[in-house]
Amino acid sequence: MSKKRGLKFYLSIYRKILVQDLKSKMSYRADFVISTIGMIMTNLAGFVTFIVLFHNFPTINGWDLNHMLFLYGFSLIALTPVQCFFDNNWNLRSMVYSGDFIKYCFRPVNVFFYFMSEVFDVKGLGQFAFGIATLVYAWAKIGIPVTFITVAQAVLFLLTASLFMIAMMNVAAATCFWIQGSGYVMVIMFRFKDFAKYPASIFNEVFKAIFTFVIPIAFVAYYPSLVLLQPDEVPLLTWLSPLIGLVFFFLSYAVWMLGVRKYDFTGS
Amino acid sequence: MTIRKYIALMRAGIMESLHFRLGTAVTLFANLIYLVLVYFLWKAVYASSGVDVVNGMTFNDTMIYLILATALFNFLEMFVVWDMSRSIQSGKIILDLLKPMSFRTYTFWSYSGSHVAQFVLAFIPTFIVVMIVTKGAIPMGLNLLWFLISVVFALVVNFSIEILVATICLYTESTWGVNIVKETIVLVLSGASIPLAFFPDSIRTVISWLPFRAIYDIPLQVLLEKGGSDTWLGLAKMYGMQLGWCVILYIAGILFWNHAVKRITVNGG
Amino acid sequence: MSQEAIVMENLCKDFKVLNRHEGLKGSIRDLFSRDYKTISAVKDVTVTVNRGEIVGYLGPNGAGKSTTIKMMTGVLEPTSGKILVNGLVPYKDRTKNCENIGVVFGQRSQLWWSLPLIESFKLLRDLYMVPQKDYEEMIELYRSLVDIEPVLHKTVRQMSLGQRTLSDILAAFLHNPGIVFLDEPTIGLDVSMKSKIRDLILGLNREKKTTVILTTHDMGDVDALCKRIIIIDKGRRIYDNDIEHLKSYFGSYRTLRVRLDNKDEWEETLIDEKTTDVMTVITEYQKSHKVKDIQLQEISTEEVIKKLYEGGTK
Repeated sequence: MSKKRGLKFYLSIYRKILVQDLKSKMSYRADFVISTIGMIMTNLAGFVTFIVLFHNFPTINGWDLNHMLFLYGFSLIALTPVQCFFDNNWNLRSMVYSGDFIKYCFRPVNVFFYFMSEVFDVKGLGQFAFGIATLVYAWAKIGIPVTFITVAQAVLFLLTASLFMIAMMNVAAATCFWIQGSGYVMVIMFRFKDFAKYPASIFNEVFKAIFTFVIPIAFVAYYPSLVLLQPDEVPLLTWLSPLIGLVFFFLSYAVWMLGVRKYDFTGS
Repeated sequence: MTIRKYIALMRAGIMESLHFRLGTAVTLFANLIYLVLVYFLWKAVYASSGVDVVNGMTFNDTMIYLILATALFNFLEMFVVWDMSRSIQSGKIILDLLKPMSFRTYTFWSYSGSHVAQFVLAFIPTFIVVMIVTKGAIPMGLNLLWFLISVVFALVVNFSIEILVATICLYTESTWGVNIVKETIVLVLSGASIPLAFFPDSIRTVISWLPFRAIYDIPLQVLLEKGGSDTWLGLAKMYGMQLGWCVILYIAGILFWNHAVKRITVNGG
Repeated sequence: MSQEAIVMENLCKDFKVLNRHEGLKGSIRDLFSRDYKTISAVKDVTVTVNRGEIVGYLGPNGAGKSTTIKMMTGVLEPTSGKILVNGLVPYKDRTKNCENIGVVFGQRSQLWWSLPLIESFKLLRDLYMVPQKDYEEMIELYRSLVDIEPVLHKTVRQMSLGQRTLSDILAAFLHNPGIVFLDEPTIGLDVSMKSKIRDLILGLNREKKTTVILTTHDMGDVDALCKRIIIIDKGRRIYDNDIEHLKSYFGSYRTLRVRLDNKDEWEETLIDEKTTDVMTVITEYQKSHKVKDIQLQEISTEEVIKKLYEGGTK
């Protein structure tokens, strides 16, 4: 009697919702244009800040402009999945308080999946393009060889890096299940990502550990990119990052789902 | 009579902010972590440069500036644009327009309550910590009073910009896009993410004529007695700048708002 | 499959809330206070609902109706007691439970806001893995019961409240669930839309033998749809029986309407025939004035419920 819903089912559902969502978005072209401009502007602003900094200080902790650009591009690409696929987290708080969130609990599918599937953020693609351009430029300038191995490493570690930001945003969003007025947590967590593009070597030992294992921004660009930037002395954490990324993602998912179970849905 | 009405709104705003006690604690904690990030970044930056003073700013100056800018940022945070878009989507906007008190006035006074609460809960503690840690790097004199006045101007400028941007929502549904453009511009050009002193001269000249400076840069300059604010003439110039923008943006806000409202009433929402 | 659609035994649900104080000073005090109190939203409720029934689940605001519904749908976990929906424990098997229930929550649409209804239907078909044949049959059934053409290609955003409610109800029945929960389905609707929606619910219940749990404040809904009603107040079940039985629950109430010669309006008196004789009341009237006209009416459900809410259990 009971039906099995596996990965194939979820992928096909996601694709169908995505297609419908894109179709309906086409009818709001003005919104799309303005949002895209907004996205480009934020990226430009981030870039300008970066350049202004380097205009005054030519190196940071021994990292020159090209290496820093590499980190910058890397972090932008790694931040694309959270922007494109998990953007509905930003709506969680208001939905939980208004009581509208309850509708996600009435379907025979995973609540987390169903909730996230509702929004696909096209704007993230602009950021993706920006990141690719920066990364390719820095890649060429530094002179990293283009082989099957390096490209495969880049792809794998970019995917890895993206897991960490998704995990951070999941947890930040889920705080609204326990804490009222926690909207600012998401805002500031999102601002933390701006620091992902700096080498973690700038921190002292204590905070390096914190920003590696508690608020893992060091994994958004620094550790994963070392596999390409320092191929001769890759730290152990870099090799372990895919595994750690999965653990973080799973933990954040568990916290999110625990929030759904514990929340009493009094909002109405 | 009317002022009592405004005070009541303000009081409700303060109470609402206090209501979220855990939220307040978490916010403070998150800010602290953010400041740690800022600290390490600039420490590394100054350490690599090999000199103590860059563009007239020492490491201490930069830190004080950025920490207080972050504290001001929290204090000035408003969600007028989001409130507006929600009220448009739900159709509540029509009610807002019919209210005896204008949407603008209502919003301003109910937010001022949360501003007061944030100022006491977030800004003053941060300020005291910075004061103690930097051991007298912040001048303690009349500048504190001048700073408070400057903050009130900053608040009005910030609010006017919020209202102007929120009005755009009456024309387009793209709240996110409009809001992110505003936030980006304000953060970069107001000196909240990098002190304006670090910008190249030509860009700095342009920025100095824009209103965004009036939100973070001017109050902080006044507080730190920089940029000529330690002379009466310099202080007057800065106030003049803020006041000028208050007036211009306030009038622009009213004109734009009225135009937008007319459009709604004509089109029937 | 068993005869019972829903079984609840001694079901309880408590909430813990912060005791808040009044005023600005109170707000500052609350900042540091750990003063919690426990509120029992549902107390010791025992109810069994059989397949195919339409049950009215009534109670004043805040009585614990939606808390019970949330437990039946698996959203909330009960504090104690037993609950079985289609033979499953809802909060333990939430996803599985959801396959066989449908929910409409008042004015809160669960459909995709910016999609045409037909696209929402297709997504739901896939989500619930409804075979294409069953899906088409259901759409045919809908067509025979109500005119769905005007809404089928509209997005929920563009619909009127009535159309939106209609769409939500259709969506809730689409996967042919065993039980459908309807929370105030006719709230805010005009008279003709209300009757259209009631007919639709009756039709679907008749054709598909769907169990329907209906919460409402509109006694018109109750009279039109429910044979049986359950009333809860302050978290306790205070009535569970036929709607007919309800009218004599507190005694045999009837309304006596008399028109006296000095006035044009009717005067109404509610009489409990177990304690008072109708004739005595009429005689009483006749002592003072001449009676022009007399009517004797059955009490309306609305009035009984009103008495019940006001008086609580006797």
